[in-house]
Amino acid sequence: MLDTNALVHDFLNKLKRRKIEGSKATAKLTAELLRSVISQQRLPNTNQAGALIDAIKAIGEQLVAANPVELAVGNIVRRVLHIIREEDLSLTTSAIGGLSLSAISDDENDVEKDDYPVLSAAAVAAAARNALRAPSLQTLLEGVPHSAAVLHSNSSADDSEEKTKSTDKNSRSRKLKHNVIETVNDLIQDIATCHEEIAEQAVEHIHHNEVILTLGSSRTVIEFLCAAKEKKRSFRVFVAEGAPRYEGHILANELISRGLQTTVITDSAVFAMISRVNMVIVGAHAVMANGGVIAPVGLSMVALAAQRHAVPFVVLAGIHKLCPLYPHKPDVLLNELKSPSDLLDFGEFSDCMDSATGIGFPLHVVNPAFDYVPPQLVTLFITDTGGHNPSYMYRLIADYYSADDLVLQRKPTS
Amino acid sequence: MWRRSASFILDNRLLQGDTVTKPESRLLSPPSSMAETLPNPNPDPTLTISPYYQTRAAHHGVVTSDWLAQAQAAAGGDTDTRSSEQESSLKSAASEHSFPVIDEFNNWRKQPDLAEAVAAIKALASVIRSSEATTMMELQNELKTASDSLKSWDMTSISLTAGCDLFMRYVTRTSAVEYEDFDSAKSRFLERAEKFGEISFKARKIIAMLSQDFIFDGCTILVHGFSRVVLEILKTAAENKKHFRVLCTEGRPDRTGLRFSNELAKLDVPVKLLIDSAVAYSMDEIDMVFVGADGVVESGGIINMMGTYQIALVAKTMDKPVYVAAESYKFARLYPLNQKDMVPALKPIDFGVPIPSKVEVETSARDYTPPQYLTLLFTDLGVLTPSVVSDELIQLYL
Repeated sequence: MLDTNALVHDFLNKLKRRKIEGSKATAKLTAELLRSVISQQRLPNTNQAGALIDAIKAIGEQLVAANPVELAVGNIVRRVLHIIREEDLSLTTSAIGGLSLSAISDDENDVEKDDYPVLSAAAVAAAARNALRAPSLQTLLEGVPHSAAVLHSNSSADDSEEKTKSTDKNSRSRKLKHNVIETVNDLIQDIATCHEEIAEQAVEHIHHNEVILTLGSSRTVIEFLCAAKEKKRSFRVFVAEGAPRYEGHILANELISRGLQTTVITDSAVFAMISRVNMVIVGAHAVMANGGVIAPVGLSMVALAAQRHAVPFVVLAGIHKLCPLYPHKPDVLLNELKSPSDLLDFGEFSDCMDSATGIGFPLHVVNPAFDYVPPQLVTLFITDTGGHNPSYMYRLIADYYSADDLVLQRKPTS
Repeated sequence: MWRRSASFILDNRLLQGDTVTKPESRLLSPPSSMAETLPNPNPDPTLTISPYYQTRAAHHGVVTSDWLAQAQAAAGGDTDTRSSEQESSLKSAASEHSFPVIDEFNNWRKQPDLAEAVAAIKALASVIRSSEATTMMELQNELKTASDSLKSWDMTSISLTAGCDLFMRYVTRTSAVEYEDFDSAKSRFLERAEKFGEISFKARKIIAMLSQDFIFDGCTILVHGFSRVVLEILKTAAENKKHFRVLCTEGRPDRTGLRFSNELAKLDVPVKLLIDSAVAYSMDEIDMVFVGADGVVESGGIINMMGTYQIALVAKTMDKPVYVAAESYKFARLYPLNQKDMVPALKPIDFGVPIPSKVEVETSARDYTPPQYLTLLFTDLGVLTPSVVSDELIQLYL
């Protein structure tokens, strides 16, 4: 217990000091941290999944609070919670199914007595399936008290198992933990390999003699372009340098070294060049539930320019960047102001910065990290599962997250 | 007729088959083929107001306010005559034929806080209660007849149709496998139907909660029409000590905006009234538009009080978000292709001066707002983009 606490604390500090950069690295570290938390967690005999969920939620809340702008943290916490729920469900259903099956096969004579548990087991399973799904019109009238049904199924399974052997229970608890850790491992693997999955689709989107424009630097974009190059596509890339951090220079360097025709342009030249461009391909910081994108600063301008000339605006995003929240006031709430040292060197304009000696107001330097690109400006999302329309994002969210986990932070008032 | 659309052809065909429809009443009364096959509970041919809006008018009467008094004075006690008219039509309906489900429905919907769909489902529950069916199939048939008669009784009410469809779907979907015998299934249906009123009430609370994040301090909200859900949202926001300002449209012809502003004034929310034509004028000071919905259709668009469409258009032009608050049981399996592609719900308009008989008056009470003009829908299923609506409906009905 102690060393997990230390781990969590260490990670929290790193998040708070913004020592971890990039959503992929954050996602991976978060998943690894949660994995070690799960493996260290001691589970009670009843309602194990509930205990595990509570533990993860408590930690998740702290993690999200440590860096609310890095949405990948919250996404991974929700994914892990969803995994726990799913594994628990599959275990209970299989346990109940096995029980009722064995009951029937053992004493076939008194069918009437056994008929009931089979039916109720099916009903419980159906109810539990509903519990995992987001609320829908279908369940509106069916309206089974969700958590109660799941809990009930849990306890009933435990009761019946108690009759058989207590060692069984132990094995089951280990099984839940084991399955969850297994699936979290898959998740970590997925995050690690998402570049490749996305890059595989490159040939479908990039054609001969096309001109691609990108801004800033993103590992996913580099892999994507290089994958197309490896498949013998010849195309040109315009790289907007991405002031003030000039990550575009790094990208251009990389592309040139891999033998791609590359041109570096300033950010302000994007509109001038966009009419010659066939497609804009960029990375994202996070994708919101409505299909809006939180992207590195400057991309909103590129998206608007692309729309003006009807150039497809394609966003590459690993599935860990998919956030189940809706943006309200995204420019303010989901943004971060970086150090002004990116813009000005130390000592530059120092005479204007001092409010005490200056005549008027001191000079302000603002260096926001992100832009919000509304969904109507995005043509296509390419994720590890394929290409999707912005309006389809909600569907992916329903697949990857449970509705119960959407709100991680408890309201301080209530 | 210069307009050519599939619905136009359909309307024409219906009208041709409908030999009873007189040419002059064609303009005002909805073309209903069902009126032929089933006894029409509204035999009065002069009654051109849709029953849906009659009920709404009757409910409005419950709220006694100075605004309403003024409205009544202006309308010359129109509400009174209307509701008494409705009473008489109800009585005649009760005496003339044997469809207790409609009486039941009307009893339920007299309660002002009860949504139309809830009334429909409660009425269908009463059918189950009095049913003597012994098999599932029989019960389903009985329910089908009842719901068809309910739907055809008032074709203008979208949530009535949607409520009936939802309940029918629930009954037919719930296979007997999940229940041990017919009686327990029946009691389960009844129990769910009884609970539905609660669900609807809870839905409003959920929607109010979901929308709180979107109302920020210092914002200005434009509201059109009287929607109980929107009122609940604003009420919750006021309780949460949010500082916001509301602009209310007047909501001609029945002045729903006046009533709404009255409700808000009671909550000490700063509120300003606009005439309906001042929407574009004030749009630049507005941060978001909140509307309710009569029905949410399959495209993700909404059918709502007349004027919603133009407000959405103006909001889109000025890049302001349009939020719709609607309970999920208002999702209807309709796909209007244009404004005229709906059963028209008519509402009389008082112009204050006599209108020459040669002048035609557009009395339609609602319009269709296509999904591209809506930003988000707040429903009890969560915050949804318009494209989710069709997905939900397909999941349920396919």
